[in-house]
Amino acid sequence: MQSGVFHTTYGKDMALQQSSWQKWRLGLVLAALLIFPFVADNSQLYLANTIAIAAIGAIGLNILVGFTGQISLGQGAFLGVGAYASALFTGRLFELFGGTGGTPFLVSILLAALFTALVGTLFGLPSLRLKGLYLAIATLAAQQIIIWIITHTPKLTGGESFSLRPTLLFGLNMNQNGDFRFYWLLIPIAILVTLAATNLFRTRVGRSFVAVRDRDIAAEVMGINLFRTKLLAFAVSSFFVGLAGALLAHYRLVISPDRFEIGTSISFLAMIIIGGMGSIAGSIYGAAFITLLPALIESLGRQVSNIYPNIDTMLPYIQQGAFGLVIILFLIFEPEGLAKVWHNIKNYFNLWPFSY
Amino acid sequence: MQRLSRWILITMIVGVLAACGAETPASGGAAGDIKVGAIFDLTGATSDVGVPYANGVKAYVEWINGKGGINGRKIDLISQDYAYKVENAERLYSQYVSQDKVVAIIGWGTGDTEALRQKIATDKLPFMSASLSEQLTNVAEAPYNFVVGVNYSDQMRIALQYILEQKSNATGIKVAFLYNDSPFGKSPESALDTIAAASGMETLKVAMPRGATDLTAQIQQVQAFAPDYVVVQNTAGPASLALKNAATVGLKTQFVMLNFAANEILVNTAGPAAEGAIGIIPYAPPAADVAAVKDINEYLAGKGQGSISDNDKGLVFSQGWATMAVMTEGIKRAAAKGTVTGETIRVELEGLQNFDTGGITAPITFGASDHQGAVATKIYQVKGGTWTAISDVVEVKK
Repeated sequence: MQSGVFHTTYGKDMALQQSSWQKWRLGLVLAALLIFPFVADNSQLYLANTIAIAAIGAIGLNILVGFTGQISLGQGAFLGVGAYASALFTGRLFELFGGTGGTPFLVSILLAALFTALVGTLFGLPSLRLKGLYLAIATLAAQQIIIWIITHTPKLTGGESFSLRPTLLFGLNMNQNGDFRFYWLLIPIAILVTLAATNLFRTRVGRSFVAVRDRDIAAEVMGINLFRTKLLAFAVSSFFVGLAGALLAHYRLVISPDRFEIGTSISFLAMIIIGGMGSIAGSIYGAAFITLLPALIESLGRQVSNIYPNIDTMLPYIQQGAFGLVIILFLIFEPEGLAKVWHNIKNYFNLWPFSY
Repeated sequence: MQRLSRWILITMIVGVLAACGAETPASGGAAGDIKVGAIFDLTGATSDVGVPYANGVKAYVEWINGKGGINGRKIDLISQDYAYKVENAERLYSQYVSQDKVVAIIGWGTGDTEALRQKIATDKLPFMSASLSEQLTNVAEAPYNFVVGVNYSDQMRIALQYILEQKSNATGIKVAFLYNDSPFGKSPESALDTIAAASGMETLKVAMPRGATDLTAQIQQVQAFAPDYVVVQNTAGPASLALKNAATVGLKTQFVMLNFAANEILVNTAGPAAEGAIGIIPYAPPAADVAAVKDINEYLAGKGQGSISDNDKGLVFSQGWATMAVMTEGIKRAAAKGTVTGETIRVELEGLQNFDTGGITAPITFGASDHQGAVATKIYQVKGGTWTAISDVVEVKK
């Protein structure tokens, strides 16, 4: 019986997967992900795809809020920037100038992510002077400004709703049987983003983010350039958020500003609070939780609707109540979120029967 | 903390098990039932009119099932609230399509119906939303969407037509447009632009923020413009707020409400401020002497639920009833010919000629290249607290 995880070489200490059990688990998860689309129906695939997109966005937000300590209420709008930018790059921008065609899909989502990084950096500028609640309000302003621009430039953004052309990837129409095909695109991208973000915090840049979060003055004394670091955090975070937005646009094919309102920002904040601030895995758990919660309550409601026929009329309120209740319970009992809960469960079994 | 973790673990396992259980057909209908999905707004931004609409649809289904359904097959209506959020509508839609295997869907808002348009076309499911956006009548873009009532843009055209008839000289008429800041609100905007440009009207467009509890700033903006008419495209709740604020501010002008603002909820909420307001209402009011109103009252009385004139029902309830009636007719005709699928229902709906919704709407006619049902409506005005017709049935002049 082991009493902990010990390493005898630096190589082992630096490894992403520190024990053979973790490697097994990773293998199991990957196998499950590979089998899933063949056993699931379209609505389950839709949920999986939505979770993958939300997870990419939540990882982006967590880099900024959880790891760098800069509160942002502009998440929804940055998703919108990514979505509209990619929609423009794949077609409309060219039509506006009388051309045809457009940028290939993969190039376009990357360009959109980069563009969002640029916009994010711009709106991150106030973070040099502002902290905490004041920064929150500044990012709220970013949210409103961006949505205003999207709704009031109908030539560019199509006004009320914007239809994209079907997404072509190497000549394959991704939107035909879209839930199945996009799964094979979204899951690998989500895995890549997870890997990139996990590794980010093993580098100097990533550690400087954490240093800024823990105490910015101390970080500056240690030689970290606050100006650069904060802006970089905004850029990196917005890059991932923009990527999520772009993928969302191509997956759903019709985008409208009401998808990117303040409510979206709040639900992404809820994801990282419930999942775990400052945890990459937590972002994924949170994204899954917030996406599945309403679906779970609905199916529970249907189960009991035979016993309580009036549950239908109460269900919407139960749903909204549950959302608030879950956040409050997590804030009180487990502020470190689902990531910590998972950690505790693992420890419980690891240390059994000698836990204290 | 570990005890908490254990509880969370148990809850999650129970939750997952419940979810797995839900995947087996759960709606409890017999094999011959015809499943129709419905996406309603019961708690969201437009729930003021969303709730009576939902009740209207549900009431029609119960009524028709009570009369033996469709050749003995019952309609199984699976409905959920989506709180006026696009992502919820998408989730419910995909659940209805792949798990419940519905043959048709009753929807609600403009934004979400637009967002689902392409999916609807690929899944080949007839979709009728409460949204009367003109974009949804474009058969090339939305081959499975059907719009039952007069669309918003036509309502706007009829409103402006009426306004132009009142004045001998069109140039210099000032029209303000107050709209819900959403795809729903902006839907008739381009119709306004076109007519204003052609007739020399002056226009001012002011967005009403969603969820606003005070519109004084917007009303003052309108007041500074001094319009002859104010056209409102919103739901009844915010529209009555605008009327009350206008009364407080002292804005003297003629209000013209498009269909979702013009109903009893407006009169009840705005009270005396609603007096004199004009409404473009493509649905028969509760007081009308038509067959469907009698059916509704009979049904409601049988359930002990009052009558259509009650405050919680009214015009929007009838709208839900009529929409479901048209959908049911399509299903009925498809069933009479054999298999009921999305495609056969679409073919039958496209064959509808002057279908009578019991007098709630003008006769409904669809065609293979025309998914706009009614094109004619009466114009009403609030007189002594009730909507009173001030015109005959009018259409957009071509």
